[in-house]
Amino acid sequence: MSVDLVARRRLHPLTPLLKGAKSIAIAVAAISWQGYAQLGFERWVALVAGILVITLILAVVSWLVTGFQTVGRELRVTEGLIWRRTRSIPLERVQAIDVNRPVLARLTGVAELRIEVIGARKTEAPLAFLSVAEAGDLRRRLLALARGASADAVVAADENATVEAAAEVPVHTVDNRHVLIANLLSPPVLFVPMALLATITPMAYDPPAWSVIGVASAATALIGVVLPPLRRIFAQWHFRIAIDATGLRLRHGLLETRSQTVPPLRVQAVQVTSPLLWRPLGWVRTKLDVAGYGGNDAASQGVRGSVLLPVADWATTRAVIARVLDGVDIDAVPLHPVPNRARFVSPLARRRRAFGRTDAVVAARDGWLTVRLVVAKLTRVQSVRVVQGPVQRLLRLADLHVDTAGGLHAVGRDRDALAAYGLAGELAEVSRAARLAETGSAAASGSAAVPGSAAAPGPAAAVDLVRHQRSASEHSPKASPTYTQPTSTSIM
Amino acid sequence: MTDVASPVDPLQPWPLTVDWRPVSSRLIVVEQIRLAGVIVVFAVAGVLLWTWFDAWQFLAGAIAVVVLGAVRAVLIVRSVRSWGYAERAEDLLVKHGLMVRRLSIVPYARMQFVDVSAGPLERAFGLATVGLHTAAAASDAQIPGLPGPEAARLRDRLAALGETREEGL
Repeated sequence: MSVDLVARRRLHPLTPLLKGAKSIAIAVAAISWQGYAQLGFERWVALVAGILVITLILAVVSWLVTGFQTVGRELRVTEGLIWRRTRSIPLERVQAIDVNRPVLARLTGVAELRIEVIGARKTEAPLAFLSVAEAGDLRRRLLALARGASADAVVAADENATVEAAAEVPVHTVDNRHVLIANLLSPPVLFVPMALLATITPMAYDPPAWSVIGVASAATALIGVVLPPLRRIFAQWHFRIAIDATGLRLRHGLLETRSQTVPPLRVQAVQVTSPLLWRPLGWVRTKLDVAGYGGNDAASQGVRGSVLLPVADWATTRAVIARVLDGVDIDAVPLHPVPNRARFVSPLARRRRAFGRTDAVVAARDGWLTVRLVVAKLTRVQSVRVVQGPVQRLLRLADLHVDTAGGLHAVGRDRDALAAYGLAGELAEVSRAARLAETGSAAASGSAAVPGSAAAPGPAAAVDLVRHQRSASEHSPKASPTYTQPTSTSIM
Repeated sequence: MTDVASPVDPLQPWPLTVDWRPVSSRLIVVEQIRLAGVIVVFAVAGVLLWTWFDAWQFLAGAIAVVVLGAVRAVLIVRSVRSWGYAERAEDLLVKHGLMVRRLSIVPYARMQFVDVSAGPLERAFGLATVGLHTAAAASDAQIPGLPGPEAARLRDRLAALGETREEGL
């Protein structure tokens, strides 16, 4: 029992310095542009020193009162001096864990741990900063607890840590040249020359005064134009996909590195996008939908929290998706086109529109210039809807929506109305059957549910090890391979 | 369970196999009172503006609001009757809509929470709205105009089904 209650720990001692550095830089920048000329050197130094001291004191106090610990299957984060706040994060609900290392953190050897939980609008527990070793260790422990292992099993798993690390199987590495070319062919980059022109032209005609403020604002404008595409490229640099016992591992980033872990069976859907300009090259982009990444603030940082493959050709994409979605072959999903009469409501997108299902997934393709294919797992379907507008009623058409908990929905637009209603009823039953099969097959199916295990004996063995430990130490009737909330056995 | 081949009418999908239950016809009155309130506000505003500014456009606007409102008041009867729900063994079906017809199929196992709400007008007529929420924001199924006891029964039944079928995402 004593292992169960891990002592409360603090963040890395460098945290106040690193967190302070950011706000100090902003404060200094804010004063510098405006006030340097007016204040004079000495008073400016005094002001900056004052800000430095105050920020550091605040950061140290915040560090002193912030702590985290794991209690049972919960992670508790305590923070705040005046307003004390304790957050309990149920680890069964963890959807993904990221280890982020911004530039400053990389220089100082620390990392930020982000835990994505279902139901939270933003990242629930950004633990910034921990030492790299501690972050990796905590990540593994939390994922083990999230899988349903008891604390004893976690300790046992610690001893197998080397086994686990060795069992990691690389799936794919994205070529940096492809990332560069693909981004150069994306609208944000293509618009950079135009935006630059728009920024520089007025300056050429009406040269800004060579004052501090003039130069600063010009520089800020230029940075604002160039930085977002650069950040995108940097974020997608060195994109590596691997699979180990803890789940799917995505690592990427040039300056700021990010290491994402998506536990098995947390994937709700994938989306394969084929932008117009990439089509001659045959490249596509793939997004991974995990509940909890929805309101991620990483979207503003250049890379979406859920990029699975920033750029890849079709064969690679197909192979990677097969590993992520339990062996689903996206080419083998039968896609049925929409009826000809749909041209009256969607003359352009009609030819791309298609919808189909297998016993494991439902797929919908749509789009005109940019073609998107959404493949959602039937086991993750939340509800099925049929929507029919007035014009569609005249044409005997209907939209079929398949909702999952993530941000992607497979929507079969302009289906034949009769078929749509039939398919809706069918999908409701098939997805229930898939769900029951998943929850019921824990004992029966050995490793079929774990992505990548069929191809690689290494991780399969590691996963089985963990699974056996769990079932041995577990008393609840939860025996599902979903590693999720407790499931009653009285389902049927 | 579903007979795919059965004749399908968007307002009555699977009429042979699914036992659709209507919502209370008192909802018609509630909706009409609500509509009347909106009409009165806009019509009075139009008439007042007409008397003050003496511009005929305002009067025309007020008349248009009343006429359109009257048409809508008649349509409300059919609109309310288009609401229907069915409790099947494994999922709840909700359908509604005249212009845009919607059918939702929500498995009990996917239910995150159930809420019952009733505004003052609904309460005066002894009605309530039962809302069913899943982890997907898009799939929320609302059933308005349920008589109080029926709303309570449905809530309790859904909550009980949700408990026994609780599972992860």
